[in-house]
Amino acid sequence: MSRRLPLAAKIAAFVLFAVFLALLPNWISDVRAQQFAYVGIFFIAILGLNIVTGYCGQISLGHGAFMAVGGYTSAILISGGPKAVAGFPEGSTYLNLWPDFLEGGVKDLYTIPIAGLVAGIAGLAFGLPALRLPGLYLALATFGVAVATPQVIRYFDGVSGGTAGIQLFGSPELTGATANKVDLPGRTVTFNEWLYHLTWAIALVLLAVAWIVLSTRFGRALRAVRDSEVAAASSGISLARYKTLAFGLSAFYAGIAGSLYAIANTFVNPETYRADLSLALVIGAAVAGLGWLSGLVVGALFVYFLENVASLDFLPSGLESALKNPGVPDMVYGVVLILVMLLLPYGVGGGLARLFRPLTNRLYTRSS
Amino acid sequence: MSKWIALGSASIAVALVALPGAFGSRPAADPGVSAREILIGGTTPLTGEASSGSGTAIGAEAYFRYVDARGGVNGRKITYRYLDDGYDPGRTVQATRQLVQQDKVFAIFNSLGTAQNLAIRPFLNQVGVPQLFIASGYGGWAREASRYPLSMGYIPTYTGEAQLYARDVLAKRPRARIAVLYQDDDYGRELLAGLKKGLKGKARQIVEEQSYDPTSTDIQSQIAKLKSSRADVFMNFAFGKFAIQAFVYANRLGWKPALTYVNAVAASTTVMSLASEGGTNKRTNGALSAAFFKDPASPVFAKDSGIKLFRSIVRKYIPRGDVRNGYYLAGMASAYSFVDALRKAGKTPTRSALMKAMLRLDEKTNPFVLKGITVKTSGKDRRPLEQAQLQRWQKTHWVPVGKVLTTPK
Repeated sequence: MSRRLPLAAKIAAFVLFAVFLALLPNWISDVRAQQFAYVGIFFIAILGLNIVTGYCGQISLGHGAFMAVGGYTSAILISGGPKAVAGFPEGSTYLNLWPDFLEGGVKDLYTIPIAGLVAGIAGLAFGLPALRLPGLYLALATFGVAVATPQVIRYFDGVSGGTAGIQLFGSPELTGATANKVDLPGRTVTFNEWLYHLTWAIALVLLAVAWIVLSTRFGRALRAVRDSEVAAASSGISLARYKTLAFGLSAFYAGIAGSLYAIANTFVNPETYRADLSLALVIGAAVAGLGWLSGLVVGALFVYFLENVASLDFLPSGLESALKNPGVPDMVYGVVLILVMLLLPYGVGGGLARLFRPLTNRLYTRSS
Repeated sequence: MSKWIALGSASIAVALVALPGAFGSRPAADPGVSAREILIGGTTPLTGEASSGSGTAIGAEAYFRYVDARGGVNGRKITYRYLDDGYDPGRTVQATRQLVQQDKVFAIFNSLGTAQNLAIRPFLNQVGVPQLFIASGYGGWAREASRYPLSMGYIPTYTGEAQLYARDVLAKRPRARIAVLYQDDDYGRELLAGLKKGLKGKARQIVEEQSYDPTSTDIQSQIAKLKSSRADVFMNFAFGKFAIQAFVYANRLGWKPALTYVNAVAASTTVMSLASEGGTNKRTNGALSAAFFKDPASPVFAKDSGIKLFRSIVRKYIPRGDVRNGYYLAGMASAYSFVDALRKAGKTPTRSALMKAMLRLDEKTNPFVLKGITVKTSGKDRRPLEQAQLQRWQKTHWVPVGKVLTTPK
């Protein structure tokens, strides 16, 4: 959100956005609701990445790894732990370490905050040493994490299920997937619509939290670190502390997104959280506009729909068949990304801020 | 004002046209089957590192269009809608849900990858959509059929294939010392397990096993270890670039095993040509592999009628397609069997009739499958292809050797 809009206008925009999201499923198809649920998941992950990269200026190319931590936390808890994960030998250490009361599985909703916390702690733990690295070196270190993640998951196949992954479909703790219906207060919805409401409800709460946190002293400190580390340090801001906290908070968001991703896919495997995912999030954040919250939806839409450009059902058939050649969707992705960055160098958020500047300037001059 | 009148009359006209259709159609047919069309779907990697594998979907689609141009199946056209999953099982789930819930496909056909198909298997069996001719040699499709009766593979299993190699080794070199390179996932491990099963009491003759992670970059150290085991038989159970590297490094390190085997899905002419390094690498020469499809790149089949048909379909329906692409051919072979099953499923096919037809396949004349190999299923036998023939790499191409063999279970 541009700092130049008055608070009331920001709150009004937020409420309008929330109302629009709540009503949207009435106008779209069931599968479109599923697609927008995934957009919501990317929204949360990009929002988190924006905290550390956009507001604190620390580039992370490894947020897919924190999504993986969250996703696997949820998947393992929902499925009921090592015993339920396929191909696991009886009597191994993992089995003995796993508490009995978790063996029946944990309700998916409860695993979401746990996944966020576990990922957040992982983020803090990683951030403590890594954030002493300057700019580019930090980016490389985080990218290393992203690349290593699938291997690490495979290595611990006793809890992660290895390459075969963990199947959640059919688990009694996964809400609504098997019966394809969920009872909400007042009505019954499909699994897809349930996913939509779940992700966007969480996304809106997390957006409000991010907004509040970033407009406090903490947020100002982060921006100070981003704009000049020397100036920030000389004003008494502990660089390591704020960077680490920002990283932890951001990893918490990624963990929530990863957890929702596992629930929506009803399946996890090392390939679901590949290094490309981390890059896609950075691209989404850049398109959304680093340091702005207003462009996030566009960034998330961009990541989801451009990744699935060859599977879109609303394109003219000629274009669709042209996209159905191996390699062409990758090329389209690249070209569109270059165009967006040329036309909107500060992302959608930056573009919106520039668009509204004449208006907000006038508001300011009138009030002063 | 006139705009509103036009709009109103247009919508009335649309309603008049649409209504009789809506009420007149018989409710009997399953989703995806209309009077003129059978809609099926699948997923394939059009993006990412595995995108060359999408040739199976493209080849299958070309074959369906060829059939459609000749009147389709019982007057219905077959439309094959395949979506991109980037080889990411998460996206396979999303795309498959879209195909089932929105496009309302009759069946999922020819989706590529083991993990990808494992991810969607419980969902498809739950909603009652057949998951047919899965493009993966995972043994579980047949083994776990009692739990997932709507899922079925097509090609011989990896375990069955490796058992053929084991038998061949024992026949040729009873006292062989065997070194194995395998990919560390379900695919490589099933090949290794099959080899051990085939060697039975002689599994101890495997003197060295080395694995690599599919996302690693280089396997030189693994080859060095295999070489130092002084093995005289090399089982190359690697895929893609790793299969190529295995040959290249074996040559550079001066390792000369008497017999080399390459697993079938890796043994494409492209891979073998690259591994031969323009003829300078002699390690590829004489390498053995199992084959079940005709190789469009091999001069052995230049005059074969099936390959001629293949080439004409590629030229007509795959613009800029390569007539030597074996993935296209694999897709066409399974599309041929699918059309065959659809014909057997009756005038207005239902999903249950299709599943029954799937278990009554008996094709001796699939033009894309090697001569002597039958695509055959029964109530107890859910593995359409279970025969293979060994082939030997001779400098620039594969040449079939020996008789058609049946892969053990």
